[in-house]
Amino acid sequence: MIEQAVPFTPQLTASPIAEILWLIPAVPMVAAGVIALLKQPRRTAAATLAIGSLGFSLLLSLVAFGHVLAGWSNQVAVRETVNFTWIQVGASTVDLGWVLDPLSAVMMVMVCFVGLLIFIYSTGYMAHDENFTRFFCFLALFAGAMLGVVIANSLLLLFMCWELVGLTSYLLIGFWYQKPSAAAAAKKAFLTTRVGDIFFLLGIVWLFNDTGTLLFYDHGAGSMEGFALAGLLSHHVALGLTVAGAIGLLIFAGAAGKSGQLPLHVWLPDAMEGPTPVSALIHAATMVAAGVYLIARVYPLMSAGMPLIRAGAVTGTTAALAVVTWIGAATAVFAALIAIAQNDIKRILAYSTVSQLGYMMAGLGLGGVAVGMFHLITHAFFKALLFLGAGSVIHGCCDEQDIRRMGGLKVDMPLTFITYAIGMLALCGFPLVFSGFWSKDGILEAAHSGAIQGPFYLLVFGALLTAFYMTRQVSYVFFGYWRGHHPAHESPGVMTVPLAILAFFAIALGAIGTPAWPWFRAFLDGRSAAFNWHGFAEPGLALLMLTSSLVVFLGIGLGIWLYGGKSPSPEEPDVLEKATPWLWAGLRDRLYVDEFYGATVIAFYGWWARAADWLDRWIWGGIVAAVAGFFGLWAKFNRLLDMHFVDGGFDKTCEEIATGGGLLARVQGGRVQIYLRILAIAVVVLAAILFWSSRA
Amino acid sequence: MNYADLFRVTLPETVLEVAALLVLFADLGLLRKAALKTRVTAAAVLGTVGCAVAVWAVYYEGAAGLSFGHNLLLAAGGSAGVAQVGILVLTAITLLLLIDCEFTRNAGEYVAVMLMAAAGGLIIAAAQDLLVIFIGLELLSLGLYVLTAFAKKSGKSAEAAMKYYLFGGMSAAFLLFGFSYLYVLSGSTYLPRVIYGVNIAAFNGGTPLLCVALVMIAAGLGFKVTAVPFHLWAPDTYEGAPAPAAAFIASVSKVASFALFITVSYTALNYFRILIPEFSAPGSHSYVTLRAVSGRLHETLSFLSGWASVLIVLAVASMIFGNLAALAQSSVRRLLAYSAIAHAGYILLGLAYFSWTNVSAQAILYYILTYGLTTVGAFGVVSVVERATGSDRMDAFLGLQRRNPLLGAITLVLFLSLAGIPPLVGFWAKFNLFAAVLGTSHSSTALGLVALAIAMSAVSLYYYLQVLKRVYVMPAVEETLVRAHPVTMTVLLLIALAVVGMGCFPALLQGWIASFY
Repeated sequence: MIEQAVPFTPQLTASPIAEILWLIPAVPMVAAGVIALLKQPRRTAAATLAIGSLGFSLLLSLVAFGHVLAGWSNQVAVRETVNFTWIQVGASTVDLGWVLDPLSAVMMVMVCFVGLLIFIYSTGYMAHDENFTRFFCFLALFAGAMLGVVIANSLLLLFMCWELVGLTSYLLIGFWYQKPSAAAAAKKAFLTTRVGDIFFLLGIVWLFNDTGTLLFYDHGAGSMEGFALAGLLSHHVALGLTVAGAIGLLIFAGAAGKSGQLPLHVWLPDAMEGPTPVSALIHAATMVAAGVYLIARVYPLMSAGMPLIRAGAVTGTTAALAVVTWIGAATAVFAALIAIAQNDIKRILAYSTVSQLGYMMAGLGLGGVAVGMFHLITHAFFKALLFLGAGSVIHGCCDEQDIRRMGGLKVDMPLTFITYAIGMLALCGFPLVFSGFWSKDGILEAAHSGAIQGPFYLLVFGALLTAFYMTRQVSYVFFGYWRGHHPAHESPGVMTVPLAILAFFAIALGAIGTPAWPWFRAFLDGRSAAFNWHGFAEPGLALLMLTSSLVVFLGIGLGIWLYGGKSPSPEEPDVLEKATPWLWAGLRDRLYVDEFYGATVIAFYGWWARAADWLDRWIWGGIVAAVAGFFGLWAKFNRLLDMHFVDGGFDKTCEEIATGGGLLARVQGGRVQIYLRILAIAVVVLAAILFWSSRA
Repeated sequence: MNYADLFRVTLPETVLEVAALLVLFADLGLLRKAALKTRVTAAAVLGTVGCAVAVWAVYYEGAAGLSFGHNLLLAAGGSAGVAQVGILVLTAITLLLLIDCEFTRNAGEYVAVMLMAAAGGLIIAAAQDLLVIFIGLELLSLGLYVLTAFAKKSGKSAEAAMKYYLFGGMSAAFLLFGFSYLYVLSGSTYLPRVIYGVNIAAFNGGTPLLCVALVMIAAGLGFKVTAVPFHLWAPDTYEGAPAPAAAFIASVSKVASFALFITVSYTALNYFRILIPEFSAPGSHSYVTLRAVSGRLHETLSFLSGWASVLIVLAVASMIFGNLAALAQSSVRRLLAYSAIAHAGYILLGLAYFSWTNVSAQAILYYILTYGLTTVGAFGVVSVVERATGSDRMDAFLGLQRRNPLLGAITLVLFLSLAGIPPLVGFWAKFNLFAAVLGTSHSSTALGLVALAIAMSAVSLYYYLQVLKRVYVMPAVEETLVRAHPVTMTVLLLIALAVVGMGCFPALLQGWIASFY
């Protein structure tokens, strides 16, 4: 059994704010519907509606967050649910609902806030696009769907919004559908995530079959609560895997698809074909984090059967969590390796996102909800910052994305440079000042205290790589001298102000998760937090912080040593390429994962499609043609009969009727006498049937 | 018999009759000099108010706790209550759609006849006695004949009414003949006693007579619900009748008749449930399984499974014939008539596999109420288009999306719902009904029949899309706007919104229906 140490008294009854929580996703969705009806030139109206609706959602989320916070400071663990029956078939019902607890409160504030900044930024970035209104329609729909994922208290409702999010992601990646690469990337993203979603759906169906509910929390009767979990634990599938573990793994497959984990990560880098605000909002800050959020939501299921959780400190693991950990850690290193050898400014960030999502997954697997979620929140801010910074750079360099054709931008775009540098240092985990340091440190600490040290070493290596590739990118873009064609210019204030705000949070958010004041973890776990310098004095912690700082310094140092101050021309091979051409080629070509899929899965589907085509064309087509031919012949035969035998008499009759009575014939068209005759015959036939069947 | 109770149980009908008289009084007395528009509006509004009061009366009698077993001639609450509220709501909607119509100068009489027919529908829905059933049916049918003939300047209207009347008269004769046999066999007209007496009679070798009686009743009721082969009047009547009358026939009369079917099935099955203990076992609560579990009472019960096979024959014939014939129609009204036949087929399937629990009754009521609502809306759309273009041909719908975008969207929603496309309410209606059938019987026959029904609803999508193709895809011949009265548009829009809303939240209506039991 699970012992969740919650010293706070739980609050389960829904407060007024929980009752109207559904407005948070509904308002942006309605706004999207209204924008869809606007004509193309109504740009201001579209942007105002989108921003206004999300602003409203932000206000409401802040109120909800405040409510949870007030509960927390009164030592009440808020978990308010509002459920209703959606479908009823016989005795079984499918219920939907929403939940207000610290997890959803934190997440919705983040989504609304980052989303709002990116909406504002988009009005500048997309100012010249002719499909401005369509863009905001999709953005608003996305925001609504994402908020739906966040507040859902039912796996089914979550799945619906999850699919809506996938749809908007598809629409936005392919926003410039005239570009073949964008259209292909959209298709790839949709299909790849679909692979994960199929497993997710299987998991949902299995869960419903075994527990009879898809609600997470339902006053003890939900699927994430003790009774249902105990039932799931009591059955084993195979190899000692419990049903809970198996369902957890299926759900994780869905999360892996959405969050770009190995081996379903291939779509995320290609998704950078979409407009940059989309990359920032959907493919960095929010949607890709939905997978992580999902795992955090079903964490009771994933961790069911864990020996003991004592006051938030995890001592043990389950099969499902072990898989999450290892896949996360492997993804973190794998993607970081590839990021080294990329030259597209957004592609580097995309691989970095994949890698950081790996960290979050590993954090969830090793340290529980709070550890993973803290990195999710900090990452959302600094990665959105980096993407928007990259967008600003691209905007300023006239749509140039190759970092080898940039350089020296720190002079031309000072505001962008400063904010980008803050984001980069946060991502690298530069010690003490930046939020990324504290959140990554939490994950490393959890990995270090785990039973197996493998993930720890992987994650430390990943941190080294992260610092290295980010230094390489920044050196190329902002230092050295300008290698592009047109002179660069700084972006307008509507773009730089969101950058500054995000930069502020990229630093400030660190304050709520330091070992001295682990407020974030306490808030999510429902414990009280006190400020205490002795937090740093825990055994091994100082050493760990030192190690991680050293690793970061090493990575940045290596980067500066190899790339600092140099401005190689675009045609010149990279420093590392000169040293190890084969390794560089492998990394540059993304370790051939796409090629591998092309040669296996896609080739198989091609073959299968050809086989099905052949079957359709020759076998089924043949049968249909044979039947059609037979009836054709039959018809010809009938016509022959008709023409020579029947028609003679029929024509005669027709003439008589036509001459006989124009109006009368038409009134009698229905032939009520025949109707009544049929009625009488039918009664006799039916009586015979009844009589015969009651004899039998 | 307690007359106070009897008054309370007939309160909704009384309210409707009083409303009908008030409408007549207002129209012929106070508003004699007024313009036609005013008179139509006044009559429709008065009638709607009457329906609203009658809905209150239904709730009131339901709350009075009168139900089966009180030996009254009418039941209250349960399926009867649901059907009565449905009938009243659909009548009110049809009345509101009347405001825009100008096929008659005698608005007051039209509304009064309609209200009286609706009162007949209420009686049928609640009737517990053969004679009351017959009186209700006649009250409803006579009203419908008059309504069909009401467009006095139209030859088609008169022709339709004549056919309807001849066919209806013949069916009523069959029905009454069947009832008289039942009375001979059981010595009673009170439904539970009839079931009991019939049971005894069958045990004593009365089966052949019983067969004739049941088939005659099936013919009489099959006429009301347009089951093949008793459907022949429907296409002509739907085509010729004034649009509001056609809508009324397609919705209110259907609801009432199926409610009667439910009453009969429910009474019969619950009687046998008490009689045979094994019958209450889970998974064995339908006519068909009845036969398997009741070897010792074989003779007595076989006629009931025979009744189920008659229903199955009617259902299969209606599903196949209705859907296939609809494919060939070029008039939207005839198309709706054949689609009504097909829908009746699905519901008859639900009746053939009826369960003594409330599942089947609720699924059928869900289906018939949502179908009635959707089809009233569809006739509303047809009537608007007809007034603008003078025709109900499919080609009259060409380019409707440009000529009136809102009406185009409403058409889209209603027709897709009729086809059973999620997330519209028609999908859930079909889903619930078929789930109820499969929940009642696990036999492969039931599965096969449901598969046939689903295949046939796939066929139906074709002809519904034929209309929608003209609304949305094919180029318009004319570009003039199609205008409608604001009230009509509001009512149609509300119907479409209800179809979408109930489709997104199917439990709303289910919960409301369940609250009557």
